[in-house]
Amino acid sequence: MVINTFIKGIFREALARKIILTIFGIISFFILILILLITNEAVRFLLSALEQTSGGNMKDAVILFQSEIISKTPLLMLMCSYIVIVSAFIPSMLKKGYIDLILSKPISRFQIVTGHYIAGTVLIFFMNLLLFVIIWIVISAKTSVWHFPFLYSVFWFTSIFAVLYSIVVLMGFVTKNNILTIITSISFFFPVTWLLYWLNKYFEQDTQNIVFSSFAEFFIKFFYYLFPKVWDIQDICISVVKAEPLPDNYFVSISSTVLFTLVMLTLAIYYFNKKDY
Amino acid sequence: MALIEINKLTKEYSSGIFKRRKVLALSDVSLNIEAGNIFGLLGPNGAGKTTLVKVLLGIAFPTKGAAKIFGKNVKNHRIKKQIGYLPENHRYPGYLNGEEVLNYFGLLSGMKYKDFKDRIDELLSLVGLEKWKKMKIGKYSKGMMQRLGLAQSIINNPEIVFLDEPTDGVDPIGRKEIRDILLDLKNKGKTVFLNSHLLSEIELVCDRVAILNKGFMIKEGNINDITAVSDRYSFLTSDIGDDFINKLLLNYNAVIRSKNNIIFEAENIEKLNLIIDYLRKENIFIHGINREKDTLENMFINLIEQQKQQHLNGN
Ligand SMILES: Nc1ncnc2c1ncn2[C@@H]1O[C@H](COP(=O)(O)OP(=O)(O)O)[C@@H](O)[C@H]1O
Ligand SMILES: [Mg+2]
Repeated sequence: MVINTFIKGIFREALARKIILTIFGIISFFILILILLITNEAVRFLLSALEQTSGGNMKDAVILFQSEIISKTPLLMLMCSYIVIVSAFIPSMLKKGYIDLILSKPISRFQIVTGHYIAGTVLIFFMNLLLFVIIWIVISAKTSVWHFPFLYSVFWFTSIFAVLYSIVVLMGFVTKNNILTIITSISFFFPVTWLLYWLNKYFEQDTQNIVFSSFAEFFIKFFYYLFPKVWDIQDICISVVKAEPLPDNYFVSISSTVLFTLVMLTLAIYYFNKKDY
Repeated sequence: MALIEINKLTKEYSSGIFKRRKVLALSDVSLNIEAGNIFGLLGPNGAGKTTLVKVLLGIAFPTKGAAKIFGKNVKNHRIKKQIGYLPENHRYPGYLNGEEVLNYFGLLSGMKYKDFKDRIDELLSLVGLEKWKKMKIGKYSKGMMQRLGLAQSIINNPEIVFLDEPTDGVDPIGRKEIRDILLDLKNKGKTVFLNSHLLSEIELVCDRVAILNKGFMIKEGNINDITAVSDRYSFLTSDIGDDFINKLLLNYNAVIRSKNNIIFEAENIEKLNLIIDYLRKENIFIHGINREKDTLENMFINLIEQQKQQHLNGN
């Protein structure tokens, strides 16, 4: 199977690049700090603090803590690291003398794009799996609260990555340069989709301090619906972990984001299909 | 039906801002290549040789015309299961070693590992790299890379191998070894498509050649036919004295190779027989006469010159 071969190749490449080890080193460092931080005293302190405020119990405290781990800032940092890790896959494949070889094999260009897309997503899935399972075990072992829904974050974070990776793939084909790919993909994720997310939230409030012209509001909403709603999906992830009802707009968020991802991949395939190398 | 059929292929590259700069890399090229031959595509740098191979492999797309391999349009990627390719200036990820390169590209060729794992060691020793198979290819020399590339191009035991300047950067002994591998492939009934700007390479191994210049196919045929158009004859004679040699030099456009080997130019049979009569009259014994082959090099230079002239007259 071609996909298997690409997955193998991408794992090999990711390991060969020092960047993945660096980022994994940093992540492990944070996990280590986490382990040291959650001492038994800290756990006891957290429990008593929560009991005093809302009469909560240890489980609520743990869930609160876990939802902090998957909040917006860690998501931003994690996704940016992932983008850096995968940004070179397409440009390095397009190097002269190498792409010629790949294209001379009995693989269609469609398979090359989708193969690299799936392979990169699988790589990040395993990174997420490793990361979240370790964090979950550390927290659960320290607190004796084994809150399983936290592990659903692996799925949601991989999905958010998959959305961003479709942009990385398209940009990789168009720019053939990993630095440009990183800059364009990350700036699209942050601040563009982030601003649209908050502006949309702002419009949904009853009272507004600053009034936008109706045209500006339409313009912002247009792009909000057009672009992927990764931050809304992160809200969904939090709801799932907290076992709360999903946000009202969850279906629109997910379906429009999936559509956007498919459009990005289609554009990448279309662009690659026409090109001479 | 020929193994490779190329029909009026034209390729125009557009580059630069707004794709305004056009380069005509191939112009109406037609060519048929039969199975079991070593075919040489010859031409100076920029002639369009690489472009032709890229179009045949679906790496670049033709502007006009079409090509078929195994009777199927080259757009069909499945035909490439039976094809091997050594691109010019090929590169592999530097973090792989020789063995891993063959492994990875064998898998990409659509084969199962168990079907080619024995072949990896066989090929590495065939190209003389078995000692370096565990070395990262980032440390390989240019010649070693060429050898590895050659092994890679036949990992899937293909029916056709396209080799783009395979002896580039390889030392003379390595060149000889590569030629032997090509001849061995031919003996196994495979077809080799060899791109080169080195005439000597082509001359030594190819059965058929085509000459490409500035995107135009200017000559195609059997290597023997192409190179047999000379009107020079080599005479083997009894020893000739010095004063007679001077006479020959004066009256005939002769080249003296030795006391008993002289080259005459004769554009027709009458002229040839006049020379024979002359020598016989002087009591010189003729031991043999051979028609000299034109070297591919002469032929090549002449053709390119002719095309240049035509081009000038045309304008
Ligand atoms: N990707 C490309 N874009 C624009 N021009 C190209 C491209 N590839 C090749 N060319 C041009 O096409 C012509 C033929 O090139 P090539 O096929 O590489 O010749 P050869 O292999 O015989 O040296 C050259 O003039 C070259 O500059
Ligand atoms: Mg070339």
